[in-house]
Amino acid sequence: MLKIEKLSVSYGSVRALTEIDLEVRGDGVLHGVIGPNGAGKSTLLDAVCGRRRPTTGTVRYREQDITRRSVAWRRRQGMARSFQRTSVFQDLTVHEQLHLVAQHLGDDRLDDVIEVMDLVGYLDQKAGRIAYGVQRRVDVALALIGRPHLLLMDEPGAGLSAAETLRLFEHLRDLVRERKIAAVVVEHDVDAVFACCGTVTVLDLGRHLATGTPREIRADHRVVAAYLGTAA
Amino acid sequence: MNNRTTTAESLRAATLGAFVGPSARLPLAIAGVAVLFVLGAVAPTYLGNDFVLRLGNEGLLLGMLALSVAFLMNQAGLVALGAASIYGGAGFLFAIAMSEWDFSPTGALCASFLIIAIYAAILGALIVRTNPLAFMMLTLAAGEMISHSVLLEGLRDYTGGADGLVVNFKGSIFGMQAADFASPAPFWVVAWVAAWLAGLALWAVGRSRLGAILRAVRENEERMRFSGFNTYLPRLIAYVLVNIVAAVAGLLHVLNAGFVSPESLGLSISTNTLVAALMGGIAGSVGPVAGGLIFSFAQDEFGARGLTQLLTGIAIVVFIVVFPRGVVGGLWSAVWLRALGGRRETS
Repeated sequence: MLKIEKLSVSYGSVRALTEIDLEVRGDGVLHGVIGPNGAGKSTLLDAVCGRRRPTTGTVRYREQDITRRSVAWRRRQGMARSFQRTSVFQDLTVHEQLHLVAQHLGDDRLDDVIEVMDLVGYLDQKAGRIAYGVQRRVDVALALIGRPHLLLMDEPGAGLSAAETLRLFEHLRDLVRERKIAAVVVEHDVDAVFACCGTVTVLDLGRHLATGTPREIRADHRVVAAYLGTAA
Repeated sequence: MNNRTTTAESLRAATLGAFVGPSARLPLAIAGVAVLFVLGAVAPTYLGNDFVLRLGNEGLLLGMLALSVAFLMNQAGLVALGAASIYGGAGFLFAIAMSEWDFSPTGALCASFLIIAIYAAILGALIVRTNPLAFMMLTLAAGEMISHSVLLEGLRDYTGGADGLVVNFKGSIFGMQAADFASPAPFWVVAWVAAWLAGLALWAVGRSRLGAILRAVRENEERMRFSGFNTYLPRLIAYVLVNIVAAVAGLLHVLNAGFVSPESLGLSISTNTLVAALMGGIAGSVGPVAGGLIFSFAQDEFGARGLTQLLTGIAIVVFIVVFPRGVVGGLWSAVWLRALGGRRETS
């Protein structure tokens, strides 16, 4: 589904990512990306979705080199993204914004997304006036419209309690499994990641540290030393 | 199963709420608007003298220009400071097409309209990509370039330099005689109908899918791109559209006045337009036109006292402080709140 080869991203003289190789299969498994602050997790998602152009390396999506493609093109090809800071249309009602995007992407199963993200009771309300946790769900719902093949999620649990984050992750895990799609989730809450992700990649200082199952990652002494510490 | 039914019902309710509105009051509203339209077109021609009608005509044309600026501000979040270059530019093109190219009045009208549309498309293609501040400065720069280019010595034979151009045309345009355009009462009807058509057209666009996309882009352009939308084309279409409205106002102005001067391209017309839009309110089609009329009559009143700039400045501050959403927006909110209060008391 997604294959990243020798991907590097620089911000001026600062290297945010250095020669990252990563493969994500579309087999209905949630793929978590963890690492300390400044590890390059969000930059990785930015480079994959086209928000930031890589300095070197390629991004292949469904066997196609998409490194130079625009964000909108990638979205129309089924690559969806949600943001660390909630990115919804504050002044539109929940229904207006979901309907607008669904109409554009030709998705006639909007009610599925609304049900999955538990937004039935909020359709008539402007997004700017609903609770932050619900706004996060609207953000994820916007990414789910159009039946994407690959979901990229940047800290979907940001601003949520541990229990809410876990619940959201369980939702995502079920959704990804049910639709047999690929999903890459960047998250700080390692408990939620280990509980719901099938595979996990660890980044540290812009470099790839390890990839494996949660059990393998927990047991990896380099990961424990660089990031997990006693949390493992 | 129950859940699914609830979702479908909620979706239906949200869709109806968003797109149909209180349909029971629709016929009454349409009748009211139709009466207002006819009354507004006819009553002033009987009640007002030529002087008042001339001020009203200027106000309506300024209102149309304000309509174009307000639409772009409200729907796309872009402030254009070059409205006068389109307004005056259309007038100059019409005059040049008549005097230099020997076009018929209708031919000159169509040619100037087409050239303005192409110019707006080219300029828009270059500037709508930029952020709102850069956009504002670029429209200002483009407007000033046009404004100064008509004064160039090399173009004097075409533009008349600082004297501008007199437009003498005989015959009719779209069935209306030249003399009627110059006469205040018949021109009021023309300007009134044009302002309504422009207002209705922009209102319809605002309610359409294009309007929804423009507002969504204004609010969160990045999210729109991440939702698969081309965020450039809708803004370009909107930019060309509002310039077409500004060009219509400019052409009506030159037909009414019978001449076009470099002042009609000036920055003061653009800023007056912006002030009129803010005074009336940018949220709908009524506000900018009302703002244009208020501005026109107020300018005359202030001018009579010899304190035009001072009183205009005070009036702008007072209007914007008292009516932050414009006169029409403020009055509309007051009526709406009173209606809601009455309903609560009844219940």
